[in-house]
Amino acid sequence: MSMRHRPSSVVLASLKPLTDIPQPSRTLGRGGLARRALSPFTIVLLVILGAVAITAAQEEERTAVEPAVARKAATLILARCAVCHTTDLISQQRLPRDRWTATVEKMVHWGADLSKDEAALLVQYLSARNHPGAPDQLPSIENELAMAQPAREQGAATDGPLTGVAAKGAGLYAHNCQACHGEGAAGGAGPKLARNRILKNEGAFWETVLHGRGPMPAWGAVLSHQEIADIHAWLASR
Amino acid sequence: MTVSRRAWLRTLLQGIGVGLVVGPRFPTVDAAYGSEGSLGTGPLTVRVTRPFDAETPVREFTSWLTPNERFFVRSHFGPPAAETVQSDAWRLTVKGLVKEGLSVSLKDLQQFEAVTLTAVLQCSGNGRAHHRPKVPGVQWERGAVGNAQWTGVRLRDLLQRAGVKPQGLHVQFQGADRPVLATVPLFTRSIPLAKALHPDTLLAYEMNGRPLPLLHGAPLRVITPGWMAESCMKWLTEITVRADETPGYYMQQAYRIPETAVQPTSGLPGSAMVPVEQMLVKSLIAAPAEGDTVRKGPVTIQGVAWAGDVAVTQVEVSCDDGRTWEPARFVGEEQPYAWRQWQYIWNAKSVGPTAILCRATDARGERQPETSPWNPGGFLWSGWDRLTVTVAA
Repeated sequence: MSMRHRPSSVVLASLKPLTDIPQPSRTLGRGGLARRALSPFTIVLLVILGAVAITAAQEEERTAVEPAVARKAATLILARCAVCHTTDLISQQRLPRDRWTATVEKMVHWGADLSKDEAALLVQYLSARNHPGAPDQLPSIENELAMAQPAREQGAATDGPLTGVAAKGAGLYAHNCQACHGEGAAGGAGPKLARNRILKNEGAFWETVLHGRGPMPAWGAVLSHQEIADIHAWLASR
Repeated sequence: MTVSRRAWLRTLLQGIGVGLVVGPRFPTVDAAYGSEGSLGTGPLTVRVTRPFDAETPVREFTSWLTPNERFFVRSHFGPPAAETVQSDAWRLTVKGLVKEGLSVSLKDLQQFEAVTLTAVLQCSGNGRAHHRPKVPGVQWERGAVGNAQWTGVRLRDLLQRAGVKPQGLHVQFQGADRPVLATVPLFTRSIPLAKALHPDTLLAYEMNGRPLPLLHGAPLRVITPGWMAESCMKWLTEITVRADETPGYYMQQAYRIPETAVQPTSGLPGSAMVPVEQMLVKSLIAAPAEGDTVRKGPVTIQGVAWAGDVAVTQVEVSCDDGRTWEPARFVGEEQPYAWRQWQYIWNAKSVGPTAILCRATDARGERQPETSPWNPGGFLWSGWDRLTVTVAA
């Protein structure tokens, strides 16, 4: 993607955690109040204030999200949301947490493939990133993910031949590709892939999967090269 | 993103259609991403790449008709595969509470009397980005609207051929577009029978004298002049006469506004929600553009104003941030449902940034408010139009 080269200091800054306290995964999606060191008095006060305090906090929520959490959330968005719509639709929203919760719930109801924990993670990420006070312009989620990607993902596809494992590819296909390309790669909203000529044109296959093509989103940030090779191996065995 | 968006548009406009691009002659990567070509959509501002939602830059509204390739585009799922709506394969069925079900080709349909009218088409979410607090949805600014000449046949003629039974009170439309996932509700809408039988409600197959483009609903779309665009079903394939309003998300939950004003912060509307139907009086400044620098002395301010099925009676312009207002002069054509062009010559005297505002009044006596009432869907924004220019010595 052409935008990878652009720096995104705004987002990187917002990805830095407020404190160094490691974030236990079970608090994901529970908002920003629990993550600061609170005195017992404050905790009691907050309990008394209850929903009122939480509601007030929602308007200007600027919860920092751990880079690892942001990476996971952005990856989920590319894999599960971009099946139906591009991420620019998400990026232009500026919503408080309750609206993000309702929006993600609606999408799950409509078939977005998200577990409860994944949905909570998305709400946490989106209400920290796309809150009502966020800047008018934010870098794309793809760009943000590219910047946050660990080094292993940055390598070129031509580093060396990868041997795909068809048995592993089956599950990867079901989770990432099947919504569009159909069960058994028989086609759906996207083309039939079983016995598709593109499987023999590896250059075109990799280009399409890594960078997207037409309505198909780019998967380079979502799938590792080994995973793409596994999917290819499985498809080639169909 | 720019590259893939262009590639995608080109794919679409070549009529290959969504998702069916990997064929026996798989083009090379160079061909897919290669040289600049005509995108066919003109200078649209893209809000969503897929499904493609894009608005017209308001500078285009200095012309009476908005050209097809510069007309705003909005759909929930993107266009159906081109081959499914090619005129030899396409059929329109009429069913439900009718005496005789029909299945007609475009040619059959064109046996009815052809009607041409000019009408504004406007997305209900046009201006959603101006609502505070912000609401979810495509953040349309000013240009999800356009004025085009539509040619087609009267829906009434087709319904009379089928014969609406006495219990039939609503007319439901279904287009050929489909969501990626079968679990997503279809975009299905209905209009009350009275609007369906109105002699100006059309099934249009031409837009500005050309066959309806794929992005605008080829081969046939509904035009409900004076009503917002969600009634104007694209890629129309099915008409069902029913006793009640269409059930389902896009009729019963989306495209509804509170009957009475609601508080922005309330989780639930606290008011009965009614379907969006008629347009409200609204105006836009097409020139100068936001951020322009103008010379001291006479400056021509021009724009458009519309009010659905009633006439616009006045447009006023303020060049002092709303303290004083001066009437603009109407120019060009006046036709029912179309927009009215207007002009105002401003004598710019003080150097520096100045806000220019406009507001219109219609024959019902309704005048644009400074800001529109907030509603949870962010529909029907019709606040004063406003931009800032800098006067240079």
